[in-house]
This record gives sequence, structure tokens and C-alpha cells, in this order.
Amino acid sequence: MSNVLTIVDMHKTYAGGVHAVRGVSFDVNQGESVAIIGSSGSGKSTVLRCINRLIEPTEGEVRLRGNLINTPSADINDVRSRIGMVFQSFELFSHLRVIDNITLGLRHVRKMGKKEAEAEALEVLEKVDMLDRKDAFPGNLSGGQKQRVAIARALAMKPEVMLFDEPTSALDPELIGSVLKTIRGLADEGMTMIVVTHEIGFARDVADRVIYMDKGVIAESGKSSIIDNPKTDRLKRFLSSISEED
Amino acid sequence: MIETMNSEGRRRDPLSFPSLFSIALMSLLVLSIPANAQEYRSGWDIIDSGTSEDLYSVESQGSEIWAFGENGIMIMSFDGGQTWELGESLTSSDLTISSSGYGSFLTASNDGTILVKSTNDSMWSDITFDFGNELIHGACLTGVSEFVIVGGNGTIWTYEMQEWTNRSVSGLDLLDVSFLDSERGIAVGEQGTILFSDDGGETWDYRDAPTEASSSRITDVEFFSEIRAYAITDEGGVIKSSREINTAVGFLWNMQYFESEGNSNNLGENLTSIEIATTNKFLLSGKEGYLSMSKDGGNIVTRQTIPLDNSTSFNDIAMIDSFNGVAVGSNGSLLLTERSGEDEQIGFEVMDFSEFGNFVDYSKGMLIDGLYATVNIVMFGIFLGFFLGVSLSMMKTSPTTLKEISQKRSLTVVRIAGVIFTVIGTSLLSHLVPIIRNLGLDGWEYIYAPIGIINPDGITGDLQFENFLFLILGVSLLLLGILLVSANGEYKKSHFNIRGRDIIWNPWGVRPLNFIATIYTDIFRNTPLIVQFLFIHFGVQIGALIGDPGAEMLEDSSNFVLSFLRDDILSNRACVSAIFALGLNSGAYQCETIRGAISAIPSGQMEAGRSIGLNYMQTMRLVIMPQAIRICIPPMGNEMVNLVLNSSLAMVIGYSELTRKAKLINAVTFQVFWSYGMVLISYFIVTWTLALFLRYLENKTRIPGLGISGGN
Repeated sequence: MSNVLTIVDMHKTYAGGVHAVRGVSFDVNQGESVAIIGSSGSGKSTVLRCINRLIEPTEGEVRLRGNLINTPSADINDVRSRIGMVFQSFELFSHLRVIDNITLGLRHVRKMGKKEAEAEALEVLEKVDMLDRKDAFPGNLSGGQKQRVAIARALAMKPEVMLFDEPTSALDPELIGSVLKTIRGLADEGMTMIVVTHEIGFARDVADRVIYMDKGVIAESGKSSIIDNPKTDRLKRFLSSISEED
Repeated sequence: MIETMNSEGRRRDPLSFPSLFSIALMSLLVLSIPANAQEYRSGWDIIDSGTSEDLYSVESQGSEIWAFGENGIMIMSFDGGQTWELGESLTSSDLTISSSGYGSFLTASNDGTILVKSTNDSMWSDITFDFGNELIHGACLTGVSEFVIVGGNGTIWTYEMQEWTNRSVSGLDLLDVSFLDSERGIAVGEQGTILFSDDGGETWDYRDAPTEASSSRITDVEFFSEIRAYAITDEGGVIKSSREINTAVGFLWNMQYFESEGNSNNLGENLTSIEIATTNKFLLSGKEGYLSMSKDGGNIVTRQTIPLDNSTSFNDIAMIDSFNGVAVGSNGSLLLTERSGEDEQIGFEVMDFSEFGNFVDYSKGMLIDGLYATVNIVMFGIFLGFFLGVSLSMMKTSPTTLKEISQKRSLTVVRIAGVIFTVIGTSLLSHLVPIIRNLGLDGWEYIYAPIGIINPDGITGDLQFENFLFLILGVSLLLLGILLVSANGEYKKSHFNIRGRDIIWNPWGVRPLNFIATIYTDIFRNTPLIVQFLFIHFGVQIGALIGDPGAEMLEDSSNFVLSFLRDDILSNRACVSAIFALGLNSGAYQCETIRGAISAIPSGQMEAGRSIGLNYMQTMRLVIMPQAIRICIPPMGNEMVNLVLNSSLAMVIGYSELTRKAKLINAVTFQVFWSYGMVLISYFIVTWTLALFLRYLENKTRIPGLGISGGN
């Protein structure tokens, strides 16, 4: 198995002096799905955003297929188009119809023609089961539908790795299912992905590997079975606090 | 998919934009209701001629005037036409022909009776001649007792040194002849015949009549001056010949088309004679009481009222000078004018503006002109302001700092750039030091130095923007250079502890584009608009700097839009200045409005755009701006309405927009309430139309599913 993504000793200190990430290192292999879990403020989202440099890491290396991407000389727009990202709050372009949301990147980054891009867009919309709403505006979609369109938008760029930043946190419980089903479908197809999530059940069922982060460091990581048999006290406390909530 | 599709339909305002716009236009039309007619008095006065015979022709030499008529009647006046006495009858023929000049009078009849008299001599000498079977139709003096006679079948005779010489040409009937001096003359006749002589009538050359008159009888010709000759046709047309670049008068003849007759070449009158008062002013006489005049060479010919009824046929007019003249006609009719026969408007000076109808009638044209002028500067001002606003707001929100720019390069490159910038900045400033020193400033007066170096020589000097540019560039490059040279690779902000307070000094956080845009908006938002108008128009003279070369560039365009730009915008310096003053000022305010809207877009939108690989500018253009512009339509409406209202300040630079027109109307009518009230209404129409358009635009661009909808 080849490494798609390599993160070596990543640090991030915010402008206010908050040291959010303190030396995180891990690899992601081809076709692997990695779940990052942890309590709020543990640095999970910061790690994810540092990977496609929406946040510049203060120190450390991020490599995509062996090439260092957090240097000034890397073509950041090309790198980002190869890494799909799905946001907690969807971030659909509200002034564009669903189909135009998806073709925007294809037309202006991949430089496809209008027809070609629309054909591509219809394909990914079918994959996320949103074909019948292709002409709707995002404002008229439900949360689950929006998130599936957001996934389709990232998928359309044919990324080498997908980053999910708490994709279900902003959704009502009854809408979560359709989004998780879509992500699970992608994992089954062999899409390489990193999912930051609070859905412990989902992490256990779908992820090949689980990383537990606490206070900016990786406290425990391993096969998804660690959720059932946590080795460290910190993970145990975290899991029990979550089950209490349920 | 439970949601209904109909919620996605775009909502429409019940009062649509087009219908409201038509209401606004209708209000405008109310301003142009036709007004009551003016009254006129004839410019001709009836004079007692002492005879009831038909008078056929009239001639004047100074204040001596002779009129000739039926059965050989001759009457004369020695006081400019006021009183007339009957002359001794010398013939019983109808004296239809006359000529004057060189201190002599000549009269003749068709049958060959010819009488000549000098002003010094009270006696007429009879030079009657037998022209065979031909009737004569015209005569013209070419000297004290020298003349040319024309008549039927090309008959031309000259009389010189008491000798008759036949100069006839083979041709059609000649009807009139006119000489400018003793050499150059024109004879005209049937079927468009025009003959020209430049040797006192010895030899004649044919000239082409205009094609429109090639089959007309040309009945009267007047060779008025070196630059103009006129003739009339029996169909009611006027032809004229002017001096052209390569030809003298009499060579090329053109048909006159009358603007006042719907560009027809026919007055529809039975003309009898033409009399020229000045190069462009002529009078026409005709049958059925027709007397008319034109003051512009025939573009506009106006029939003038006469104090007689229309049964009078006018046969001839003689002008004593360019204003005084005599007209003669049937049954001894004799009219005298002191104003070229032009109608006098009665009561013009005492027009009563306290009657609202009269007032509106007087002011509506000026108001509509003013409205048009205002709309012109507003339209272009809005375009310029919006363009500037969008550009500046993007510059202001651009996130790239000096730190980020420098970090991308190695420290060596940064330092070398720093050295280069320092050197350039220093040399620019050292070049400026003597110039600034020459301004003769002292102490705090140096804050005015920028104005001084742009225009160091006062009113006579040209503007030298390069010195000002060098000053700005020099200061910025020097500061930037010193900063870059001092870089140590960390680009950190520095903290100073002054009396226990933490002072942060962070030059690396400066965003260059933001800096430039900030300076721009600060200048334009912190100075009064009226001063900007005055400075831009009279100081910088943008109108001359941009308008003149612009108009020159479009000189040859016949395209509708381009010729509008050239004629209505660029060739009016005040208009160009007003557009720039309004646009530059409004741009500064619009920039802040749009920037506010950009800030209102969630930061995630930029992240989402960047995460699919769009670069910064693409994301701004495709994602952020389309949403921001929609958000800021309401406040932008404010800005644009403000721009319209501010356009009234253009009156200070002499641009004739609505407010200035109101002042002018007020100056004539003294109706203060009405003048400014009507301007108020006109402004309301413009701004209201604009507001309706923006409301329509807001509805049209509404993003479905966004915004508050509280239902009913």
C-alpha cells in the first residue's frame, strides 16, 4: 500500500498564542479511511485544515504522494484541487444552482467546457442521490441534501483524498443517516479519506483506523477496534462521556 | 424529496418596474403641454404712392427711390420712401424692367422702350432700340450709361459708349440679368439656363443649373457679392451659388432645401422676385400677398404678415440698406419697412410669468435640457463610481501582507530588493529636494508642498504630475526599502514597552493594495464634494485633459453611440469634469459599502472556493462578489441616489444641469417658488426612477431560500 498523505510533526500556533496542534504525525494509505475523534478544542479540525493549507501549519511537513505541499513553491491551487474538502456548515455557493455549484470548479479549475462539466456533475449528483434537485438553489434544500451536494462538489474534482470536517455535526439526527450512507458508500468504493467526526458508531463501522486526539496531540490510534477496547485512560473517559450523552 | 418546487420561483413585485417607469415618463410629459400662441404685427407699413396703377419694379440709389409701372407710370421719393410724387410720363408702355447702380437708374419695357437717368440729372434720356421681333425681359447697368439687355431666344445686347452691340447666344428665352461689377454678370432663363460672363457681357458661358431646377424657368437672379448669388424659379424654388474652395460664385449652383417646409425645395408660392439684404438674409415677393424672408441663407423661410389683404400681388422689392426697404405691387400698393419686413412680436417684453401656463411654457424646454444634462453626468458617474467601488473594495479586502509576500522569497532576494528600493526612493527624493526648496515654503507651510510641485509656476504653468508621483513613489519606496533591508527572516511584529504600555509596531502586517485604497478613500471622503468639483474642473482640468483628446479620437466616428459620446459628453469639458468628480467621490463611498457586504459573506465561502482549487481572484469574482453585490443593493441604492442629488453641485463649475437651469429660469421669471418647485419634481422623477430600478434589480437577483420571509 502506498502512502497518499504523510504528516510529520505538525505544529500550529494561532496568532493569539494558542498552541492548538503540538506535534502530530500520521500516514494515510491508498484506499484507507481514517477517523479522527476527540473532544472540542483538541485540534482535530486544525489538523484537517492544515493538510490543505486553509490554515498554514507553523511547523512540520505535509506530503501528498511524497511531495512536500506546505512550502511557498508548491502550487497550492493544484494541491487543493487534488484534496476534496467537506465542511461542517456545507458552504454551498448560495447564489448558484446545485448543478452550477458543482460545475464551478470543473469549469474554472479543470477548464472544462460547459457541456462536459455538466455531464460530469450529473454523474456525481447521481452518486449522492441528488439528481432530481439539480436545478434547486441551496437555500431551498434541507441540511442533509446540502451536505450531499457539498460532497458531490468535492467528488467532482476527482480528488486523491477527501477530508470531512465534522460533516454531520450541523445536521438533525434524522438527516444524518443519508449523509453517513453516502460517505460509507465512498469508503466502500475505496476512496481515501480522513473524517473528523463525533459519530463514534460511524467511526467504528466505517473507519479502517481511528486516531484519538486530545489537547493537540495524538493520544491513541489504531484499528477501529480500539473504540471497543480503549487502552488509554483519556480515551476511556472520552468514550464514556459520549455514551453518557447518548 | 418532500419540499415543493414552487418555493423556488423568483418573486415579482406587484408594481413592476416598466409600468412605474412609464408613470414617471408621463409626469415628464405633463411638463410639455402646448402653450398659448404669440401675437405678431407686420414689419411693413403702408405708404401712399399717389397712384392706383400696378407698380412692376422699384430701384433705389441712396435715399432716391424710383418705382415703375403700368402705362409708363414712374413715381419717385427722395426721403427714403416716406413721401412720393408722380414723375412726368415719357412712355405708355408697361415698365416691367428696371436696374440701378453707378448713380444711374434704368427702366425698360418688353417692347424695347429704354429710359436711363443719372441721379445728378433730373431728366430721363430715351435710348429706345428696335430688337426686331424679340421681347426683352431683363436689363442691368454695368456703368453710368452702360448696360446689358437680355430677352427672348437668347437675345443679348450691350450698350457701351452709346453703341449697341449684339452679343446674342443661340438658345432659349433669357429672363433676367444681374452684374456684380462692370465685368462679372449672370443671365438666367427658361429650362434652367444660366449664363456667366466675366468680360462685361461680351462673351457668355453656359453653367449647369442644379438638376432639380434643370427644367424650371429661372425668373430672377441677384449677383449679390463675391461670395453669394441667388436666383428664383417660377415653381417657388430658390437656387444659390457660393464661393467654393476652387470655384468663384456663379460656377456651381445648388438647390436650396427649406427646413421650414419639411426639407422641401419648393415654397409652393408664385414668386416674382428675390431681393438680397445681406449674404444670408433675403426677401421674397410673390402673388397673392406673399412676402417672406430668411435670415439663414434659406434654411428657414418665414412668410411675414402684411398690412394689406392677400389680393395684392407683390412684384418687386428694393432694399435701401440691410434693414430699410420698399415693396411694390398691384394697384399702386407700396410698403415700407425698417426691419427687413420681419414681423414684430407684440408684448414679448411684458410676458406675464405670474400666469402659471406662461411660466411653464417658458421654462419647460430649459428644464428638460437640464434634466437631460443631469441624467448624462449621473449615468456615467454611476458607471465610473461602481467600477471604482468594486475595484477599491477588492483592494481593501485583499489579505496579502508584506510578510506573506516576503516569506515566499529567500532572505537574500528580500534584502537585495530592499537595497534597490532604498536607492531608487532616495534618488527620487533627492531629485525633488531642490524643487521643493524652490517653492519658498517655511515650517508648517510644507503641508501644501504637493500642490506646489504639481503646479510650481502658478496660473501660467502646466501641471507636472510626475513630480507628485515621484514624491509618493519616493517616500513609499524609501520606507519599504528600509523595512526590507532590516528583515531578519522572521517578519515579526515588534513590541515596545513605553511606561508600562505595550505598543505594537507591525510594518510587516501592512497590506499594500489595502494601503493604496485606504489613502484614496480617505482623501475623497474627508474633503467636501463641492471643493472636489472646483479642484477637478478648474484645478486639474480633467475636462480638458481627458475630454479634448477623447473628442479628437472620435472625430470621424459616425456610430450612434460614439458620436453621442463625442458630441454630448467629451466635447463638453464641464460635463467630463462633473462625471469624474461625481464618479471619483461616489467610488470612495461605494467602496466602503461593498466592503461591508464582502465582510458579511461567511469566511467559509472563501474557504470552500479555495478548497476546490479556485485561486483568490477567481473565488472573489465567482463566489464572493456575486453574493456581496446582492447584499449591498439597498445601501448602494442610497449611494446612487446620493450621487444624483450631489450632481446638483455641478452648477458650480458652470455645467447646465437642472439646478443651474432653475437659477436661470428664476433670473428671467422671478417666480422663485415655481422654478425651484419644478426642479424638485424633476429631481424626484430621476431619483425615484432609479430607486424603482434598484428595487426591481433587488427582486430580480434575489437568491431563492435566502433572506427573511415572514409570510403574511
